[in-house]
Amino acid sequence: MAQNVNPFLELQTDAAKQSNDSKKGSNDNHAVTKRLHNELMTLMMNQDKGISAFPEGENFFKWIGTIIGPKDSAYESLKFKLSLDFPHSYPYTAPQVKFITPCFHPNVDNGGNICLDILKDKWSALYDVRTILLSIQILLGEPNIDSPLNALAASKWQKQEEYKKYVIDAYKEA
Amino acid sequence: MDYKEGWLLIKKVFPILDETYNLCQLEDIIFYKYEFVKAVDCMKQLNVSKHIFNLIVIKIEQRLRDEVAPEFWSYFKHNEHENKGFKQFYNAVKSLYDSYRQLHNAILQLEMLKQATDIDVTMYNEDSLDDALKLILKSTLLSQLHLDYQLVVTNFYEAALKMEDVDVIKDGVCIICSQESLHCNCMHLFQETNRKLGQMALLEPLVGQTLTNLIYGYIHGHIQKTCKDSFDSSFINILEKWLQDIVLHWLNNIYFHDCDSLIQESLNALEKKLINFLYNSYTKIRIDQLFNIIIEYPESLPALEDLRLCLPRTDLKPVLTKKLQKAMETRLLHPGVSTPDVLTAYVAAIRSLRVLDPTGLLLETVTQPFHQYLRSREDTVRCVVTSLTEEGPNDLAEELVRFEAVPVDENTTVDEDVENWKSWVPDPIDAIPSKTSSRRTFDIISMLVNVYGSKELFVNEYRTLLANRLLTQCLCDTEKEIRYLELLKLRFGDSQLHYCEVMLKDVADSKRINQHIKQDPEYNEEEIPVSAMIVSAQFWPAFKEEKLELHGKVREQISKYISAFETLKGSRTLCWKDHLGFVDLEVELADKTLSLSVSPVHASIIMHFQDKSTWELEELSKIMQCPSTVLRRKIGFWQCHGIIVETSKDVFCIQDDFENKSVNVQEDIFVEDYEAESAMASAQDQREEELQTFWSYIVGMLMNLDTLPLERIHQMLKMFAFQGPTIECNIQELKVFLDRKVREHQLIYSNGYYKLPK
Repeated sequence: MAQNVNPFLELQTDAAKQSNDSKKGSNDNHAVTKRLHNELMTLMMNQDKGISAFPEGENFFKWIGTIIGPKDSAYESLKFKLSLDFPHSYPYTAPQVKFITPCFHPNVDNGGNICLDILKDKWSALYDVRTILLSIQILLGEPNIDSPLNALAASKWQKQEEYKKYVIDAYKEA
Repeated sequence: MDYKEGWLLIKKVFPILDETYNLCQLEDIIFYKYEFVKAVDCMKQLNVSKHIFNLIVIKIEQRLRDEVAPEFWSYFKHNEHENKGFKQFYNAVKSLYDSYRQLHNAILQLEMLKQATDIDVTMYNEDSLDDALKLILKSTLLSQLHLDYQLVVTNFYEAALKMEDVDVIKDGVCIICSQESLHCNCMHLFQETNRKLGQMALLEPLVGQTLTNLIYGYIHGHIQKTCKDSFDSSFINILEKWLQDIVLHWLNNIYFHDCDSLIQESLNALEKKLINFLYNSYTKIRIDQLFNIIIEYPESLPALEDLRLCLPRTDLKPVLTKKLQKAMETRLLHPGVSTPDVLTAYVAAIRSLRVLDPTGLLLETVTQPFHQYLRSREDTVRCVVTSLTEEGPNDLAEELVRFEAVPVDENTTVDEDVENWKSWVPDPIDAIPSKTSSRRTFDIISMLVNVYGSKELFVNEYRTLLANRLLTQCLCDTEKEIRYLELLKLRFGDSQLHYCEVMLKDVADSKRINQHIKQDPEYNEEEIPVSAMIVSAQFWPAFKEEKLELHGKVREQISKYISAFETLKGSRTLCWKDHLGFVDLEVELADKTLSLSVSPVHASIIMHFQDKSTWELEELSKIMQCPSTVLRRKIGFWQCHGIIVETSKDVFCIQDDFENKSVNVQEDIFVEDYEAESAMASAQDQREEELQTFWSYIVGMLMNLDTLPLERIHQMLKMFAFQGPTIECNIQELKVFLDRKVREHQLIYSNGYYKLPK
C-alpha cells in the first residue's frame, strides 16, 4: 500500500463497503435460509432409508450428506459422505455436490466430483436436497457409462466381481 | 494598716474567701457599704487589688468544683422509682439554683470591686463577670457528669411530656405524684425547674441533647402505638396535628425560659426537623407493614394514600422497593404458598401499587421477582385460567368482565398523548430505560399473560381446561362457557380461540346428533341408552390413552349407534374412546338401590360381576384388557360401597347376602374417590412427542456429522430445530433425554461425544 494514503480513510471506506455488501447479502439470504430450513425439516420428518443430510456447522449453506449404497449393487451397505455447498442464489442455481468418501464410480472422478445432469444443465428449482441425494443413490447402481469421468471404472463395470473389489479398495482408503 | 488587719477586713467584705463558711451560711452575712469602701482603700494601699480579685475568682471556682457540683450530682444517685426521678431532678436544680444565687452575689461584689479599683481584668474572655460565672458553672458541672444523669433527666421530661399529652393521662390522676390533677402542682414545679435552668443558662447544655433524644423516641413510640396494625384510616394529618399541638407546644414552653437570643431560630429549625422525622418514622413504619397493607387491599387504602403523600417528602422510595421485594420473597415466593394465593397477592400488589405510584414504575420493579417466580411454577397458567373462568367472587374474573377490551399484545404501542404534552414528566431516574412509560399498563390480565411472554401458552391451557370441563360436565350448560369464550376473545383475538369455538360447537352438535339418532326408527335402545360426545380430533387437545375393553352389551349398543350415525352422516364414522365419559347406573341390591354416576371402567367391572358373581383378578384383567394393579384399585371403589368383597387373595365376589352386613363395609380399603384425573393427555406425554421431533433431528445430525458433544447438539437444535416459543428444551433436559436414549441403546456415549450405534 502506498504510504501517502490516509490509512484511517481507507479503513472506513472498506468497512462501509463491507457493511453494504453484507446488508444486501442478508436480504437475499433470508429467503434461501428459509427454504433450506424447510428442506431440512421435511428431510428430518420423513427419514428416507439410506439418505440423510444436515448442516455442517453454524453455516446453513454447507451441509454434509450421507448415502448408503443401494441394495443389490456393488455399493451395497457402504456409507458415502458427501458435501453440499449451496450458493446464495439457491434454489435457482444447483448446489455443488461432491463425494467426501472416495468412490470408485464411472461418473465420479478422483476428486469426488460428480457428473450428473440434474446438478448441471438439467437443474431446476423444483429439485431439493432429498431429490439430489436420491438421484445420486440411484446413480450408484445405474451409472452412465457413455460419458465417464473415470474411464477405468467404466471399463470394469461389465465385470461386476472385479468392479466390486475396486469399489471396496477405494472405500477402504478412507 | 498592716497586711493582717487588711486581710481580715477583706475577708469580712468578701466572705467567700473565708473557708469556714459554707455557701448556705454566706447568705446571712450582711454587706455594709462602708466596710467595702474601707477594704477597697486598704487594697489600694497595699497594692494587692488585682491579687485579691484573682483570689476571689479562684475561690469561686474552687467552691463550684468542691461543693456545688458534687452536691448537684449527688441528687442523681440511681433510683428505681420513676416518679422519684421527677422530684430528684427538681431538688437537684433547686439546690443548684440556691448555690448559684450565692455565687452570683459574690460575682456582683467582684463587679463592684472591679469598678472601684479600675483594674483591667476579664474572666475567660467574657464581657460580663456574670456570663463568666455561667461559663464556669457549666463547665464544672459537665466535667463531673454523673452516670445516671441522662436517665434522670429523661425520666423528668418524659413524665412532664406525658402530662402534656392528654391522651395518656388516665382518670384525671397525675402520673407524677398520683394525686388528682387538680391538686397537683407538678406542672408548676416543672415550670420552675425550667425557669431556674434557663436563668443559669444551663437548659440547653444540660438537658438539650437528652430532650431531643427523648422527643424523637416519644414521637416514634407514639406513631407506632397509633398506627399499629390498623390500615383502614389515614393518620398523617392527625399525627402532624399532634406534633404541633402537644410536642412543639410543650417544647416552646420549656425554652421559653431560655434567655439565649438565638433560641427561637434553633427552635424553628428543630421544629422542621421534627416534622421531617415524623414523616420519616411514619413512612418507615408503613413500609415495614407494606406487605400486610397490600394483602389487605382495598381495606388498607387510607394507609396507601398516606404512604403516597409521604413518599415524595422522604427519600425512602429505594428502601420501600427493597423491603417490599424482600418481604415478598420471604413471605410469598416460596414453595409453601399455593399458587392461587400467590396470584391473589399479585393482583392485590398490582392494585395497591397502582395507588402508590401511578406511573407504574414501582410496580414494574417490585413485581419483577413475581414474574420470575410465577414463570417457574408449573401450575401458574392453569390457576390463572381457572380463576379467570371460575364462578363466584374472584378478582381475576371480575377483571376480565370489568376491563374494557385491551387486546393483549406484547407489542402494542400506545400513541403518545399529544394533547397533554405539557403535563409530560420524564421517567424517574431509576426507571428501566428500555421501557417507555407509555407502554406501562395496569391491566392485570395482560400483565399476567405477559409473564410468559406468549399468549399461546395461555390459550392452550385454556383449551385443555375447557376440554376437561366439557367432558366431565358432559352436554350441560355451554352457555356460560360461550360467554367466557366471548370475553376471552375480546382479549386474545378470534384467531387464537378458534379451536375453542369449534370445541363448543362440537358439544352443541353432539346434542343435536344424539337427538337425531334417538328419533331414528331403525335405531333402538333396549337396555343401555347411549349418548355420544362427538369431538373433532383436530381441534381438541390430545386425550389420555388407556386400554379398556367394554362389556359386550355396551359394545353391541355402541355399534348400533355407530351404524345409525353412519346412515345419518354418510361417509363418516365414529372412533370411540372407551375409557372416557361416564355411566349413570343403578345398582339394585337386596335391600336398597344405589344410583351412581361412574367411569366406564367402574361400570364395566360391575357389569361383569352381574354376569358372574365371582371373578379372579387375572381373569377379569384379561377380559377387560386392563392391568391388574389398576383393576384392583378400581374394584376398590365397589368394595367401598360394600358391593364387592375380596373373599380370598385376588378373588372377588359380589356381596349378595346382606345378613352379615356389619362386615361388608370395609373401611380400611384404599379408595381413590373420583380421582380428579384429567381426560387430557398429561403435559409430560405431550412433551414426549415434542422430544420425538428433536430425536429425528438428532439422528439426522449424528448420521452426517458422526460424533457431537452435548453442547453442540443443543446448539444445532437451537439453530435448526426449535421454532416457536413453546417448543424449547434446555440443555439439562436434553442431556436427560439423550442419556435415556443411551440406555435404550439408540445412542452411544463416549468421551463426552454422542454417536449413533453402527
